Amino acid sequence: MVYFIAKRLVQSVFVMLAVAFLAFSLFRFVGDPITQMTGVETSVQDQERLREDLGLNDPFIYQFARFTGDMLKGDFGFSYRTRQPVAEMIATRIPATLELGIVALLISLFVGIPAGVYTALRPRGIATQTILMLTLVGVSIPTFVIGIILIFFFGVQLGWLPTFGRGGTVNLGGWETSFLTVDGWRALILPAITLGVYQLTLTMRLVRAEMMDVMQSDYIRFATARGVPMRRLYFKHALANTMVPVITIIGLQFGGVIAFSIVTESVFQWPGMGLLFLESIRFVDIPVMGVYLVVIAFFFVLVNLIVDLLYVFIDPRLRIKDVS
Amino acid sequence: MRRGYGKSFVLGGALSLAALGVQAESFNWASTTDPQTMDPHAVNSAPVLSFLNNIYEGLVRRGQDMSIEPSLATSWVPLEGENGWRFNLRQGVTFQDGAAFTAADVMFSYERASNEAADVRSWFAPVTEVRVVDDFTIDFVTSAPNPLFPSSIANFMILDADWATSNDAALPARDAENFATLNVNGTGPFTVASRDPGVKTVLTPNANWWDEAAHNVTEATFTPIGNSATGLAALLSGDIDFIQPIPLQDVEQVESREGFNVLEGEETRVIMFGFGHEHDTLLYSNDVTDVNPFQDPRVRLAAAHAIDMASIDRVLFRGKIEAANQLVPAGISGYSEANQSRPDYNPDRAKELLAEAGYPDGFSFGLKCTNDRYINDEALCRAAASMFAAVGLNADLSTGPVRDYWPQLREDDFDMYLLGWSPGTFDMEHPVRFLLHTQDDEARLGSWNFGNYSNARVDELLPLIQQEIDPAARQAMIDEIVAITQEEVAYIPLYTQPLIWAAKDNIKLTQRADNFFMLRWVTVN
Repeated sequence: MVYFIAKRLVQSVFVMLAVAFLAFSLFRFVGDPITQMTGVETSVQDQERLREDLGLNDPFIYQFARFTGDMLKGDFGFSYRTRQPVAEMIATRIPATLELGIVALLISLFVGIPAGVYTALRPRGIATQTILMLTLVGVSIPTFVIGIILIFFFGVQLGWLPTFGRGGTVNLGGWETSFLTVDGWRALILPAITLGVYQLTLTMRLVRAEMMDVMQSDYIRFATARGVPMRRLYFKHALANTMVPVITIIGLQFGGVIAFSIVTESVFQWPGMGLLFLESIRFVDIPVMGVYLVVIAFFFVLVNLIVDLLYVFIDPRLRIKDVS
Repeated sequence: MRRGYGKSFVLGGALSLAALGVQAESFNWASTTDPQTMDPHAVNSAPVLSFLNNIYEGLVRRGQDMSIEPSLATSWVPLEGENGWRFNLRQGVTFQDGAAFTAADVMFSYERASNEAADVRSWFAPVTEVRVVDDFTIDFVTSAPNPLFPSSIANFMILDADWATSNDAALPARDAENFATLNVNGTGPFTVASRDPGVKTVLTPNANWWDEAAHNVTEATFTPIGNSATGLAALLSGDIDFIQPIPLQDVEQVESREGFNVLEGEETRVIMFGFGHEHDTLLYSNDVTDVNPFQDPRVRLAAAHAIDMASIDRVLFRGKIEAANQLVPAGISGYSEANQSRPDYNPDRAKELLAEAGYPDGFSFGLKCTNDRYINDEALCRAAASMFAAVGLNADLSTGPVRDYWPQLREDDFDMYLLGWSPGTFDMEHPVRFLLHTQDDEARLGSWNFGNYSNARVDELLPLIQQEIDPAARQAMIDEIVAITQEEVAYIPLYTQPLIWAAKDNIKLTQRADNFFMLRWVTVN
C-alpha cells in the first residue's frame, strides 16, 4: 500500500512537469507581460530593461528550466502584477476554492444520490419525470448562465443572498474559512449550487442507471424472494453495489470541479484560485499562471489517488487483489 | 405578464435598498481592476494612480474640473535666472503615521520616483536637478523652460522619507514586494485600514488631514469586480453603492429602476484609426501587394470620408459620444479651436478620392482592433469595416485582447489599427509627443506612433510648444500642428469615449474626466 502511494506520488511529479512544459510553451502566445506591467508613458528603453531583468528575452527552454528549477527548490517566484510571492498568493486563495468545491460536491451527493435511487425505483412516477426533466435543463444551461440567473433571482429580486464575494470569513491558523459564520454560509449557497448543478445531474443519472441495472440482477431477485426487507435491500445490497463506478466518476469530476470553478468564481467574484488565474491571464502574469496550472495538475493526481484508495474500502474484492 | 415581472423586479430592488439604507456613512464601491500595488511610484496606470490619490498627495492636485490647484505646495513660481520651478510647501502637514512633512520628503520622493525601478520616471525626464532650499521650499530645475511642469506632476505622490527607508522601501519593488507594496503612509484624506489584494480594501478617513473634508464617509470598502454582470447585480441588490464603469448596454436597465443614477460624462480619451505610414507595402492585401496605398493622403482622406459617425453614435453608443476632430477633445488645454471641422460622411467623395489616387475599384487591407480595451471596440471596428467596404476599402478585420495587441503594433503587424489616447498631462503636447512626433527611442519621442507618421515641421514645433511661455504664441504653434496633421490625415480621430458610472441615488460624487474616482467628494445621504 505504501509502495503504491509512493509510486503514484512520483508519477505525479512527472505529470506536473509535463503540465508545466505545456503551459510554458503556450505562455508566449498569451501576450506580452511588459506592456501590461508598465504605463503608457514608460519609454521603450525602460521596457526593454525590464524585459531583460525578468529574463523574458531568454530562450523558452531556459525560462522553463529556471521556472522548474526554482520550483523544485521551493521558490515559486513573484507575481509580475502585484510583486507578491506566488506561493503566498495561491495559498491564500486555496481555501476559498476548496471550500466551494467541497460544498458543491456535498450538495451534488446529498441531493444526487437519493434522487438517483428514487428515480430508479419509481421510473414511471410523475416526480421522476419532473426530476429528469429538471436535470436535463440543469445540464444543458452553461454554468455562468445558471449563476447569473441565481444572482438576479435570489440576490437582486428577492434580496435574500449576497451577489458576490465570500461574506464573513474566520481565519483558522491561516485558513480563511466560510464555514463558521452565517454570512459566510449565505455567500456560499449560490456559488456552490451553481458549481454543483452539473455534478448533481451527473451523479443522479449515474446512480439511477446503475441502480436500475443492479435491481435486475439475480442476487437482488433472490434476496427479494427470501423476504429481505425492502429498505435493507435497496440501501444495503443494491446501493452499495452501485458505488464503485459512481465514486470513480465523482472523484474524477471533483478534480474538474476544482479546476473549472474558474467560471463560477468569476461570476460570483469568489476570491479563489480560479479568479486569480483569470486576473493573471489578463495581466500575462506568467509566474502565477504557471504555478496555478501545476497546482491544479497536482490536485488531479491527488484526487485520482484518493479515488483508487477509496475503492479498496468500498469493494472488498479489490483488497484481495491488492495483496498479490 | 411581462409588465408584472418588471414591477416586481423594481419592488425587490427598492426593498433591499431600504434594508441596507441603515448603514449611513459607510460606502462600498467596485471597479473592474484592483490596483496592483499601494506603491505610488511602482506602476504608472490609471487604476493605481486613481486609487492612491485618495491616500497620497502631490505638490499640486486636480480639482473637480481637472484644473490644477495647490496641494502639498501652496504656491509655485518660475525660478529666476534659470529654467525650472520653485515650490513653496505647505506647513503643518503630517503623514498618517504622525511624521511631519518637509522638503526632505519631496526630495526623497523625487529620487525614488525618478529611479530606474520606478515606472513613473518619465515625468521627470525634463528635470536636471532638484534642490532643497529650506524645510518648506524646493526647486525643480529643468533643462529648458517648462511651463507645463507643475501640471505634469499632479500624480507625483509624496512619501515620508523616514517611513520608507526604515521599512526597506526606499525604492519601488522590482522583483519581490516590499513594505510599500501593501502598506501606506500618505498625507491624503484617507488611509488603508486593511487590504486583501484582489479581494477587498478598506479605507478610513485621515482625522489629521490638513484640508477640510467635503465628504461624510466614515469607512469605504473597495471590491474589484471583473465581471460586468456581477457588478451590475451587486449594485442593483444594494451590496455596493457605486460602480465604475458600467457597460453601455446596461444603462437602460439601471435607469429604469427606482433608487439608482447613471452618471455620464466624456472621458478625455479620443478613439482613432492609425495608418502604417512607414510601410512600403500592405501586409494583409490580396489585390495590392507592391505599394501601400495609405501612404497617399488622398486614400487616408477617403477612409475618413467613409466613416458615418452619426450612425455609429446612434446604433453603437446610444447617442452618448462626441465626434472628435483632433487628438484631444474640446476643453483640454491646447485644443485647437481653429481646426474644429472633421471630414464629413461622404461616400461619393471617398470613391472620387480613391479613383484620383488610382484605386477606382478600391483595395483590400488588414484592420487590427482590440476587443477588450475600449467601450464597444470590436463592434466599432465591425461597423467601420462595413462602412469602408461601401466605398471599396475592403478591411480584413482581426480583433484580439489588448495583452497581445500592443506587441503586434510594435512589430508593425498592421495596415490600419485602432487606438485610444488619453492625454496624461491634459494638454495637447502629450499626444504630439507620443503619437505625432517621429519615432525616436533615444529621445523617448513618438513611442506610440506605431505607423511612424513623420513631418519635419511637427518635429520642429514639439520642443517649441514644450517651452513657450506665452499662451497665444504656443496656441498658434499647436494650431499649426493640428492643421498639418488634419491636412495630411495622420490619424482619423473618431470620437471621445463616454464615461459611464452608476450609483445609488443617495450617493453624491464627482465624475472627473480622467476617470479617477475621488473619495473626498463623496457624500452619502
